[in-house]
Amino acid sequence: MSIIQTKDVKKWFGDFQALKGISMDVAEGEVLVIAGPSGSGKSTFIRCINRLEQHQEGQIIVDGIELTNDLKNIEAIRSEVGMVFQSFNLFPHLTVMQNITLAQIWVRKKNRAEAEEKAMELLERVGIPEQAQKFPGQLSGGQQQRVAIARALAMEPKIMLFDEPTSALDPEMIKEVLDVMKELAKSGMTMIVVTHEMGFAKEVADRVMLFDDGMLVEENTPEEFFNNPKSDRTKLFLSQIL
Amino acid sequence: MVDLIKKNAKSLQESLFSSVGSAVLTVATTYLVINFFRGMLGFALTSDKDWLAVLNNMQLYMVQAYPEEDFIRVWLSVGLTFVLAGLSIGIWRSDDRVKSSQVFNSFFKGGLGVLFFTIIAPTNASFMGNDGSVITEEVFSMDTRLGILIPVAVFCVIFFSIRFTNIKFTVNSSDMVFFYLFIPVALLWFVKLPTIQLDQNNERIIPDPVMPIADTTKIPWTVIFVSFLLSYFIGMYLKNIKSIKSIMSLSWFLLPLLIFSWIFKKPQIDMSVVLGSDLPIFGVFLLWGFLVITFVNNSIFKKYYSTYLGVTFLLTLVGVFSGLPMLAKTCLLLIALFSVVVPAVSTSSQGKRSLLIVWAVALVTLTFLLRGGASDTGIVVPGSSIFGGFSLTWLLAIFGTYVSFPLGVLLALGRNSKLPIIRIVCTGIIELTRSVPYITWLFFASVTLAVFLPAGVEFNLIVRVLMVTAFFSGAYFAENIRGGLQSIPKGQYEAADAIGMSPFQKISLIIMPQALRAVIPTLVSSAITAFKDSSLVTIIGLFDFLTIGKTVIGNQSIPVNFVGHDRENLIFVAIVYWIFTFTLSRRSMKVEKKLGLGER
Repeated sequence: MSIIQTKDVKKWFGDFQALKGISMDVAEGEVLVIAGPSGSGKSTFIRCINRLEQHQEGQIIVDGIELTNDLKNIEAIRSEVGMVFQSFNLFPHLTVMQNITLAQIWVRKKNRAEAEEKAMELLERVGIPEQAQKFPGQLSGGQQQRVAIARALAMEPKIMLFDEPTSALDPEMIKEVLDVMKELAKSGMTMIVVTHEMGFAKEVADRVMLFDDGMLVEENTPEEFFNNPKSDRTKLFLSQIL
Repeated sequence: MVDLIKKNAKSLQESLFSSVGSAVLTVATTYLVINFFRGMLGFALTSDKDWLAVLNNMQLYMVQAYPEEDFIRVWLSVGLTFVLAGLSIGIWRSDDRVKSSQVFNSFFKGGLGVLFFTIIAPTNASFMGNDGSVITEEVFSMDTRLGILIPVAVFCVIFFSIRFTNIKFTVNSSDMVFFYLFIPVALLWFVKLPTIQLDQNNERIIPDPVMPIADTTKIPWTVIFVSFLLSYFIGMYLKNIKSIKSIMSLSWFLLPLLIFSWIFKKPQIDMSVVLGSDLPIFGVFLLWGFLVITFVNNSIFKKYYSTYLGVTFLLTLVGVFSGLPMLAKTCLLLIALFSVVVPAVSTSSQGKRSLLIVWAVALVTLTFLLRGGASDTGIVVPGSSIFGGFSLTWLLAIFGTYVSFPLGVLLALGRNSKLPIIRIVCTGIIELTRSVPYITWLFFASVTLAVFLPAGVEFNLIVRVLMVTAFFSGAYFAENIRGGLQSIPKGQYEAADAIGMSPFQKISLIIMPQALRAVIPTLVSSAITAFKDSSLVTIIGLFDFLTIGKTVIGNQSIPVNFVGHDRENLIFVAIVYWIFTFTLSRRSMKVEKKLGLGER
């Protein structure tokens, strides 16, 4: 049973067509890695899944709910789907603890004690419980990204979207974030990860996709994708990146 | 100690005389500063200045011609404000400690300041006599100079050397507020200055006898100080009550309304009106709200809820333009807005219960405030307006900010709205108000506004001025806040969306706090501008603080002749304005620092 279904999703920015008909399914518990050159539409695509961008044609169904202009559907889907951004987007005026509890209290209507307990649990899971009372500006990039993951997990989402989570990080901080993501993948979370980290794709992904020019060029298992790619475009991409 | 002096001397040399250019600049600036203050002091001390023109007219400065038998109203509102402030300081008591060395250091610096002025004060100063000749006289004799120098120098030495002793302690920074306020209150009881006395023929007794200044205010101020202190302790005691902070915020919101509707009015509590009109209206709307809350989840009612909403809004529209009592109109508006909110909030039985309480409390408060506000007997002063002097300036500044700030937030949000009508209306309001000078708006308030209001609706001139001030500074606030909104990266909106926040939560919890924080300096300077610009109301015949000093006292001949003594008053007015604006900007810097914690 697939938890995300998209059918022929198309999207334009003005005259520029960013997505040229993407159809795919993601099964529950699956880890999907999307790779591709810059401007290939991979970020736009996952941002369409929780309606940060609006697709103009086609169908996106998340957990049985179709994404339309209906605000109720959008809010329902957003609370099922967690998102981690390239630039972290933590709330700089709130402490780490407040960042994680805010949505639990206001959206999930939990009481404060419950929310804080959950937040501490998650901070321990991402390995930085001692930073709870600091502000995001006082943390390193890797720590900030881990807080961002904890913030998304606090909503207990069924699906996690990662939009180039390690692109803005120093090389030595990338590992700490990837470790958290690997642990998350092993726990059975459905994940869609846009990344350039091919090592992560090889190790964790159930499936790898290549986007180019707004189209889905290749869809394969990691072994096949890296060792025996079907399309020439993938070969070219791999030759440039590896 | 010698080391310390050496170290200080060295850093002084480094910062002031590091090169030839900076040495020249240092010397030239020092020379200019000293001469400026010498000139000011010489001007202030010559015998043709009568500073009693200021001291003797304090009452005029504060409340103008406000009737004396109603002073209790002024004291009540000041007292209420202080009680609320005391409670708030107690509840939000900070844990910051001030070190004793910091306190002593500020005393030391203050002493140094006095020493500086005593040393540079000119011995002789000249002024223009009545016949145009220049008269030079001794204004600051050596005896006086030494009489001040020696005790102050001793004072300075004590507070300087105290840091080398073992006297070290820390004080809670909230407690310090009361210590600093205690000083002026205590001084009221002891300080005696020359005061004007009139003999039987209403002639001034010269020389002026030395008497306590502001004798009539010492008891009220002491009472207020004591209740301030008491409410501080009560506040500390109440600190742990669960929702006390939101109750306090609400009280601050209601305080000005209470003051304007009950204290600065003489409320007519006609029992027949209260029983015949207020209570029935109150009862009807209370029942209405209760019914809506109770039956909101009923399936039949749910089905026709949008019809019910439409009917309510139609009723409200008709009601507002009909001859209903004010209370009924306001309640109609309230129930219409309330009905929109109810379905979203009353999903659980707990939500329902708290909604019932909120509705009841809101109605009681509204009825209470409107009963005071609807009694049209303001305080009548023969021949002139009610307020004047500092209370008018303060009213315009505080109430102007109080109304215009939320208005500014709404306008800024409206201008950024996606809905074209709201955006166009908000942009129109902002651009229209900003592109016309404030003085023009004041004339509009005094002359034209009445034409725009429906027949039978009349507002006092001050209320009309407040209305245009609210829009005028609201427009400026809006533009400042819009600047703040634009500084928020798109990612913040996206992050808030991605964790499922509603648009209202996104704005109020994520965007606004950051936007406002980014524009605190401009907001404060707008508030300061509004405070100072309030002196422009003199142009439409209101007597603000500055006008009292410049025009009223400058032309005062009864009971004491102060004609021509406007310069002293202008200096006094300038100093008072400076004290308030300087305090405001210092406070805002502190707030900025505190909020800056979370900045990147």
